[in-house]
Amino acid sequence: METMPTVDEHAPVARLTGIRNCFGSDCVHEGLDLDIPAGQIIALVGGSGSGKTVLLRTLSMLREPDAGRLELFGVDATQFGERRRIALRRRVGLLFQGGALFTALTVLENVMLPIREHTTIRGKWLTDLAMSKVVLAGLPADSADKYPAELSGGMVKRAALARALALDPDLLILDEPTSGLDPIAAARFDELIRELTDSLGLTVIQATHDLDSIWRGSDVVAFLARKRVLAMAPATELAGRDDPELQAYFQGARSWEYAKLHGVANSSTA
Amino acid sequence: MPANESITASDTGNGPMLEPARGSEGELCLHFSGPWDLAHLPSEPDAEARLATWLASHPEVANGRQATVEGALSALDSAGALVIARIVDGLEHDGRQVNLDALPAGQRKLIDLLKGRLAPRERPKPRRTGWLAMIGRATVGKLIETNAFLAFVGELSMQGGRLLLMPWRVRWREVVAEIEAAGLRALGIVGLLSFLIGMVMAYQAGATLSDYGANILIVNLVAILTLREMGPLLTAIIVAGRTGSSYTAQLGTMRITEEIDALRAIGISPFEMLILPKVIALMIVLPLLTVFANILGLLGGAVVAAYRFEVSFAVYFDRLPEVVNLTTLLLGLVKTPVFAIVIALIGCMQGMRVAGSALAVGRATTVSVVQATFLVIVIDALFSVLFNLMGY
Repeated sequence: METMPTVDEHAPVARLTGIRNCFGSDCVHEGLDLDIPAGQIIALVGGSGSGKTVLLRTLSMLREPDAGRLELFGVDATQFGERRRIALRRRVGLLFQGGALFTALTVLENVMLPIREHTTIRGKWLTDLAMSKVVLAGLPADSADKYPAELSGGMVKRAALARALALDPDLLILDEPTSGLDPIAAARFDELIRELTDSLGLTVIQATHDLDSIWRGSDVVAFLARKRVLAMAPATELAGRDDPELQAYFQGARSWEYAKLHGVANSSTA
Repeated sequence: MPANESITASDTGNGPMLEPARGSEGELCLHFSGPWDLAHLPSEPDAEARLATWLASHPEVANGRQATVEGALSALDSAGALVIARIVDGLEHDGRQVNLDALPAGQRKLIDLLKGRLAPRERPKPRRTGWLAMIGRATVGKLIETNAFLAFVGELSMQGGRLLLMPWRVRWREVVAEIEAAGLRALGIVGLLSFLIGMVMAYQAGATLSDYGANILIVNLVAILTLREMGPLLTAIIVAGRTGSSYTAQLGTMRITEEIDALRAIGISPFEMLILPKVIALMIVLPLLTVFANILGLLGGAVVAAYRFEVSFAVYFDRLPEVVNLTTLLLGLVKTPVFAIVIALIGCMQGMRVAGSALAVGRATTVSVVQATFLVIVIDALFSVLFNLMGY
């Protein structure tokens, strides 16, 4: 399990090709292609109902796509049975929108669960290791013995992050990580993700509506529209493009302020 | 003693390695190599303890003020970094200046990140409660439980009493829906179990009575037992397990998903909307189900009496009105609305008291069924004493 940046910088961590996801006769993805470059933070954006969560569920192997191919770390995950997928799942950390912490377990036990399940680590070292993730995720040490019901919204997200980081994943998938957080907490969360990405050699893909996360917290933005990834580039570049849907998204009243902040407005109005 | 002695953290030799040495200027020099990750670390890393032992036997470097960390780690994840970060932290704690500059930038960054956020080594032990405190807590818990039940009964009486004066405000649609769920859909299980219990009673009665040639008395035994006790009690227990538990689970889940609070916020009383319809529905349904159970129980007895003990259907049903009358039936039925109130109240109260997690819903459902069944049997016993005193 290599986790340090020995990963080939140019090989994508994950590659989706020709993905189709349908609910009955209603397709949210059709011929969707997406490469996730290593070591970057990718923001997955798009209007409500554009299939961000479905795409993340496909990527984390929770949902079998109706057609298409999912490659994770260079192997074709769609060909695998559930047993072999477990090995891949260990390398993917997932943070659910609502946290999805196990309510019957304390924060520390939540983090210990995946480590205990997938390694032979026991006893004090297990506690220490899990504790280090709790603190790493920015939680105070005394919150480790609390139950999820006793945590605030922001702390739930951090606890869920600690659990997602438990096995040192190579790919971290975040579904709306800053939704429901106040702007300060959201900014701190973005900083934390950035810091972890830099030091742990993570690759991050996050579905988000948060303009701060899109403009400041991400390296690349993947824009989901018309059932596929319409464009993928840094936010400043996307905001300057001519495509009407991109313009509508990035030049909506609030987003436009950010665009101006980043000097996009001048170039595109010309 | 060689200046360069390695502290291997694993026995295989190609695992994580730490070689402490005395540097050229007398400083402590730690050379890390090999893979420092979860897959290669031993299940209880003791590098720090071994380093302490090594330092104890090398006093010439043990008291230095400087330390350098160097090496080429073939792999480093956050677990390995945690071990190294703790070693560095320990050295700094002893007053050394630790220099990590010789490490590759990425690995240094990771070690720094973990060193900056080290959790306290010793976690405070959860305080154990003594047996006296546990008894006290359990007692107070029971008192609170009793108090909560009384408060719940009080609130229901207030709201229920008010609504009785304005019956058009009762949510009859909900009542009808609850009647279907608790009554109509329970017919199968109640009927089948009553039939079987009727058969069992007839078998047991017949086995003894036939020895004396008193087969005909099977009718007396089965009829009186069914109408006065088995019908009402069995039905109440089935309903407590089937409907009471579903009330708790439904309301408990609605508490956790904040649906109850949402109702309040919209200006709808959860009592009026959710609880009262359940209580009313169960008070209507339980007597009806009991009558149904009585009929099936008598039938079950009749079948066994006819095919096993030579008491034909004609004789059985001919004799039935002679041994039981309307009073027998009513003495059984009069208990059922009380059972219904107890089952619905306990089910709803336990549901409304759920707080916190999915686990709490499961626990509340168990408590609800246990309490409801317990109270149903206790109340049945009280009724028996009461009826006996009254001469029935």
